[in-house]
Amino acid sequence: MSIKYSLIIAIQVVQSFFSSRNIITLFAFFNFFLFLILWVGEQQRQNYQKVTDHYSQEIRQRWEANPDKHPHRMAHYGYVAFKNPFALSFFDFGLDAYTGKSIFLEAHKQNTVNFSEAGHSSSLIRFGQISVAMILQLLTPLFLFFLGYDLIAKEREQGILKLIFTQGISWKTLIMGKTLGLFISGLFILLPTSLIGLVLLFFNDVNNDVFLRYLLTIGSYATYFYIISLIAVLVSAQSRTAKTSLLKLLGCWILFMLILPRLAQVIGQNAIPSPSKIEFDSAVTADLIQQGDSHNPNDPHFKALKDSILKVYKVESTKKLPFNYAGLVMKEGEKLSAVTYKKHNNMLIQKYTDQQNFLKFTAFLNPYIAIKNISMALTATDFYSFIDFQNQAEKFRYQLAQNLNELQIKYISNEVKNSADKKAKLSHKVWLKIPDFKHSFASVKSAISSEIISFLALFFWGMILFVPIQNANKWFNKL
Amino acid sequence: MSVTKYLFFNFIRVKGYSTALIILLFASLLSLHVGEIFLKNHQENIRKSALAQQETINRYVKYENKEMGLLLYYLKFGLVNEVPPLAALSIGQRDINPSLLSVNIRNLEEQKYNTELHNPAFQLLGNMDFSFVLIYLFPLVIIAFCFNVISEEKESGIWKLICNQSKKPYRLVLQKLGIRFVVMLTLLLMILGIAQIYLQIPFTASWILFCIVSILYVLFWFTLSAWIITFKKNSNQNALILLAIWIILAVILPATANAIVTKSYPTNEAFEALIESRDGYHRKWDLEKEPTIEKFKKHYPQLSEFQHPKDKDFSWLWYFAMQQMGDDEAQKSVSQFKEKLQQRIAMSNNIGYFFPTVHTQLLFNSLSQSDLTNQLEFWEAIEHFHEQKRLYFYPKIFNESIVLQENWYGHQMQYFSARSNINWMSSILPLFSLILFFCILVFLKLRKAFNI
Repeated sequence: MSIKYSLIIAIQVVQSFFSSRNIITLFAFFNFFLFLILWVGEQQRQNYQKVTDHYSQEIRQRWEANPDKHPHRMAHYGYVAFKNPFALSFFDFGLDAYTGKSIFLEAHKQNTVNFSEAGHSSSLIRFGQISVAMILQLLTPLFLFFLGYDLIAKEREQGILKLIFTQGISWKTLIMGKTLGLFISGLFILLPTSLIGLVLLFFNDVNNDVFLRYLLTIGSYATYFYIISLIAVLVSAQSRTAKTSLLKLLGCWILFMLILPRLAQVIGQNAIPSPSKIEFDSAVTADLIQQGDSHNPNDPHFKALKDSILKVYKVESTKKLPFNYAGLVMKEGEKLSAVTYKKHNNMLIQKYTDQQNFLKFTAFLNPYIAIKNISMALTATDFYSFIDFQNQAEKFRYQLAQNLNELQIKYISNEVKNSADKKAKLSHKVWLKIPDFKHSFASVKSAISSEIISFLALFFWGMILFVPIQNANKWFNKL
Repeated sequence: MSVTKYLFFNFIRVKGYSTALIILLFASLLSLHVGEIFLKNHQENIRKSALAQQETINRYVKYENKEMGLLLYYLKFGLVNEVPPLAALSIGQRDINPSLLSVNIRNLEEQKYNTELHNPAFQLLGNMDFSFVLIYLFPLVIIAFCFNVISEEKESGIWKLICNQSKKPYRLVLQKLGIRFVVMLTLLLMILGIAQIYLQIPFTASWILFCIVSILYVLFWFTLSAWIITFKKNSNQNALILLAIWIILAVILPATANAIVTKSYPTNEAFEALIESRDGYHRKWDLEKEPTIEKFKKHYPQLSEFQHPKDKDFSWLWYFAMQQMGDDEAQKSVSQFKEKLQQRIAMSNNIGYFFPTVHTQLLFNSLSQSDLTNQLEFWEAIEHFHEQKRLYFYPKIFNESIVLQENWYGHQMQYFSARSNINWMSSILPLFSLILFFCILVFLKLRKAFNI
């Protein structure tokens, strides 16, 4: 293989594209479209951030404005956690529209994350959301196929291919050269928008982790473009005429982008069924009842707790204890229910992860899935980022509830009948000391480790495509 | 007639075409299977929920039977948003919005928006239901059938021969297109027939309209393709132009439209309602009881006979009055929120009139009661259902009725079935006029080319 000749061929390919006015127009159109979408995406992100900030502040202000109260009333008043958009979500919307935006956090109860954009949308949303990622993943490959389908097939049709080989150029040199040319042309779509995105990040004053994520994202898209270019050139090399090459590539595109993802969805969902809400809730309830039902006065777990405490403090009634007994029971109940919920929720997440992994493995058949998952992970709009938010919210909820239970145990008298009693109140100053909920994002490291399969799949595609190049003499017709 | 027969066999013998038809048939059958699983899962979900509701009621009645008020703090009652069999063909938003909601008689706003458990990654990829196959895959096969109907003859040099020999060469083109349409129509009708039997779809106006719109949608793509190929570009150009149109109609325009709809009508009122209902209820614990109870009695004059015992810190009347305030004080935001969703629906529908892909999808989801309109109707139904439960239990709670005297087996899960709303004109006309439009364009083009 001659690198020099490959480069010459590559430059020729790029020159031939940019000597056609139609193709230049198409490039210009693509770039303009991408700029527009990038701008819209950033507007959307800023707007979403504004809404999130506004309501988070409102929640905090209202929390702090509560008067003197029984701590358990505050535990039920609860908190609302809002999911923040990530700094890179202007680039890829990922699952953000399908995962909820807010969750109500209260004692004893794990609520669902509600108010997803998809739930508030007409069926239009199922056609897909237009983002830079969508254009790069879905439409640019089609454009590259359109540019590349005749790169070798046309030369074969015109009889030039024979001439090229007689000049001592090998299949490898030819394929690498054509691929490189197509890939470089593809960069004229990827890079301008990426640079604008980079400038945007400077203006938005983000941290290094975000920059690293962004650069990795662009690098992954470049790799994806390279794979797409290679596929186009290989199909062109294998086809007798340019027309058959085009039809094959269009078939590939339809298969990769349209059919395989939905097929994977059908198989994944049926091969690895996940529980419905009612099944999940029933399982949690069944476990809770077994562990100890604090509503049942004869429940062995809570009866044993009561008896042992009465023994330790040498009193005959819980009313004579030096601390608030109801608070202690709630603390114990919260602990039990949180552990049980966590156990079941982890099982659920494991199910989803299994489903997710199934999808990820289809990336070995479909490079589109690989880039889709990588892009979502790096822009923190993926499933794991959502689960991370949910876990942070649950952790906050648990600490909030237990904090307030502790306050009740310490400061509320056993004599009060219920939380409406005027004697059962804590000063409103206590509420100020409870920390605010802050949604934070995981580091780039965890994003990469969650998508290791997808990175491997992308690498696999880059490698496997060298097999036909190595065997080009055997597999492809020189005529 | 013999020419038609010849052309038919000529068409069906092409390996690519028969493969495309088989793939399409396979995809359609798979989509029907997906729909069937969807229906089954829903039925299973209902069965389990009904069972769970009964069990929960029995358990609580066993332990918490001293006070009606405390018992009804816990008890939940389910309402099912019934899924018509047609939804198997067009799952729509049914995999996002829950088709079953269980609520207690406390503050409804805190419960109304609860979601089902779903893997969001699957929601993003979308369902492979029949509406997907028809809206995305059928046009692609139609394009594959049509793009070279003229150019193929030209490229093989036969076109000149035809033009010389026949007085009406355009007839051959129309015949070829006609054969392709009849083949596609046969396939479509076959699949619809199988669907009706396999999914036991009742023979209703919705189903008839669904079938008519399916046929019109296929016809639309044929007339559009026919128009494009009359420009007599070469095969590759035709294929690319048609594919570009497909991408614009099936991907870019709907996605852009969605972005515009979302931006035009942001739904922040949902958060407002959440905050207002939370404060509406919880703040009442810190206030004097009388004003809350007064407001409650103003809402329900029929309950004004009940009093809060003056010497008590707590009564269930006061408690449920506070809960009621959670809903009452969020009312304004809630109706604004619903108004926004209505506006989103209206705008989407208006956009749909111009784009057959959008129109067909929205219509399918509307006919199969799997769209946002249906979700809004279900919310209304839940509100009504919740109100009925309140009205039934409020007097019993405030009277301190005896728990064990209530017939708890009478509180089974209930069902809501949305009315089907069919507007024939607005369903058929947009597609029909586009078809007519392209037919005229094709006619004009042919007249110009062949001096008819």
